[in-house]
Amino acid sequence: MKITIKSFANIRDVLGQAELPMELAPRATLTDLFTRLNSEYGENFNRQVYDQLSGELVPFLILINDKTYRTTVDMDTPLSDGDVVTIMIPFDGG
Amino acid sequence: MNSLTYKGYIGKILRVNLTDGTWSDFSLTDELVEKYIGGAGLAARILYDELEPGVDPLSPENKAIFLTGPVNGTMIPAASRVGLYAKSPLTNSFFHSSAGGHFGAELKYAGYDGIILEGASEKPVYLFIDEGNVELRDASHLWGLDSNTVQHEMHEELGSEEIHIAAIGPAGENLVRFACVICGCRALGRGGLGAVLGSKKVKAVAVRGQGSVEVPDMRKMRLLLDELFAKFNANPSTSEIMPRYGTPVLVNANNTLGMFGHNNWQDEFYTESEGLSGETMRKQLVKRDKSCFACPARCSKFSIVGEGQNEGCCVEGPEYEDIFSLGSMCGHNNLDVVAAGERLCDDIGVDAIEAGVSIAFAMECYEKGLITDKETDGIELRFGRDDLILPLIEKMGRREGNLGNLLAEGVKRASEQVGQGSEFFAMQNKGLTFPGHSARGMPGFALGYATGPRGASHHDSRPTGERTGLVKRDTIEGKGEYTARINHLNILTDSMIVCHLPEAIWGPLDITDNVVRCLNAVTGMDLTLDQARKTAERIWNMIRMFSVREGYRREHDTLPGRFMEEPIKTGPSKGMVISREMLDYMLDQYYEFRGWDKETGVPTREKLEELGLEDLTEDAANL
Ligand code: SF4
Repeated sequence: MKITIKSFANIRDVLGQAELPMELAPRATLTDLFTRLNSEYGENFNRQVYDQLSGELVPFLILINDKTYRTTVDMDTPLSDGDVVTIMIPFDGG
Repeated sequence: MNSLTYKGYIGKILRVNLTDGTWSDFSLTDELVEKYIGGAGLAARILYDELEPGVDPLSPENKAIFLTGPVNGTMIPAASRVGLYAKSPLTNSFFHSSAGGHFGAELKYAGYDGIILEGASEKPVYLFIDEGNVELRDASHLWGLDSNTVQHEMHEELGSEEIHIAAIGPAGENLVRFACVICGCRALGRGGLGAVLGSKKVKAVAVRGQGSVEVPDMRKMRLLLDELFAKFNANPSTSEIMPRYGTPVLVNANNTLGMFGHNNWQDEFYTESEGLSGETMRKQLVKRDKSCFACPARCSKFSIVGEGQNEGCCVEGPEYEDIFSLGSMCGHNNLDVVAAGERLCDDIGVDAIEAGVSIAFAMECYEKGLITDKETDGIELRFGRDDLILPLIEKMGRREGNLGNLLAEGVKRASEQVGQGSEFFAMQNKGLTFPGHSARGMPGFALGYATGPRGASHHDSRPTGERTGLVKRDTIEGKGEYTARINHLNILTDSMIVCHLPEAIWGPLDITDNVVRCLNAVTGMDLTLDQARKTAERIWNMIRMFSVREGYRREHDTLPGRFMEEPIKTGPSKGMVISREMLDYMLDQYYEFRGWDKETGVPTREKLEELGLEDLTEDAANL
């Protein structure tokens, strides 16, 4: 299936474009998507979303189309063909 | 030598009587620092004890306190800050504002934990603390100068660039109710504390010192620092995002969630926001990254406008809040104007959040016909007019004409003058305007805004838990306790004083071990996590009692009509609103968790006694 990844700031810098089309296996989940991004973009991607001491994905939101999901509890969510996945930036502060 | 058991402190505060030009030392005691730590906690206690209730914030009877906490001047990461404290001319209650940079550390190296300014001078003065020597100098020749020029002039006069200065601009002198104080390029921004200095005729405070801050065990301290710096370097927020984009990264983040205030919060989704984004700013303006004292996060940006009318204007920033208030709230996405506006706010000495939100309020009043060319001195005030931002900042900072004077009073008082229902969209609580984080899109944060002792501050509560999905943002359940615990994290860090922004390390949902270990390592206090939480709760209740004594009750813990009656119109958060019923429900939860009277919002006798605030029970009973 085909999805589109939307991103900004550091993640956009790593992926190289604001909207990135990606081919995933049917019924792939958010975890599968992040595993794929990790293997394709390596440490550069990893440093933007994983704590480098614990190795854990840090808390941030992900939009699938316009619906909000949380990295803390929703990573098993399956994706569907045509989904637009917006990766929010894991920024605390502000 | 001081008589404190605890390290981290110098042990004394300089008390300056401006009326007769004398000064003395105020010694810290073990009991004071155990109960109130420093910074906001200690200042609240001093001001509660020393100010009469009902005192006019702009009278000589008010006091302004510069204060550090135990960690300032050490290498604890993000311990860059200094706080300024007084009764605020905007909110009429205790207010604290802190700034990063180097002033706080230098004040301690100069020999004092803080400075209490009381009374008022007849003529302009500045205070100079040089290696523990105190001088009150004539500042008549500096009166009227902007906050940047005055620092240059003083460096010349005092013969060194190494002197750190906190100064007011013309707005402070003109008693603009949201005048700020500028330290280097950083602002003690909110609450109008620059006007308090102006009312005392204090143009500036300068400090220089080569002292040091003692800690109990340097070896243990080094181990802790290694661990903390490793955590800063491992966390994506502090190691990657802050250094690259700083707070402006939130423009796209908040707008993508549909939580970016636009046109005076008439909406929270701005289709043209990319022009204001951190990404655009990085390309268009940023020349280098900067850091505060002892902070690895380097979230500050040094920017220069490259072309156009404001070409050459350089500024530390703009920060997310400036972009929100001077840009999106006023309906335009001209980042050069935002940068120049922020610089002008600093120079003239006004809080950029208050300035932008005041302009947005006036624009909406004008578009709705509630004010006309007569009140605006002929200016056609419309959203999107980026050409008006700089002239209006000048006008309010100098109190020029009808419009300048109206805006200089802040949104709450301006809406009282305009009347005609304008309070519905006067985007303030308790006199302080809302910064750029959504209330409607984050119920727990809305509760934090409503109950904030400073009014609509984004540093009494925090948006982070809901914005990053640590807790659900589409529910009001559990938000009472959620908000109270974040209050405690914030007030403890504001008393130590460390910057809130690396909150992934400090919290972000409650006080964590990382905070307590810093406090213990610097002071030798040996507090447990529970004891630290109790201390924070004591300080929070102390500050609540200050507000209560000034007349604040449950009915003041509220939100503007717009946030309670107008759902967000477009974007991913469309339909979200905090109705009165939702707010009431959360207030009940919040007061219940706090042990406050649900009818009035006043801390109960039992709660005050439990927290060791027995001496306030009489005040609470006599209301
Ligand atoms: S996080 Fe940013 S604002 Fe806070 S101390 Fe560090 S550099 Fe300064």
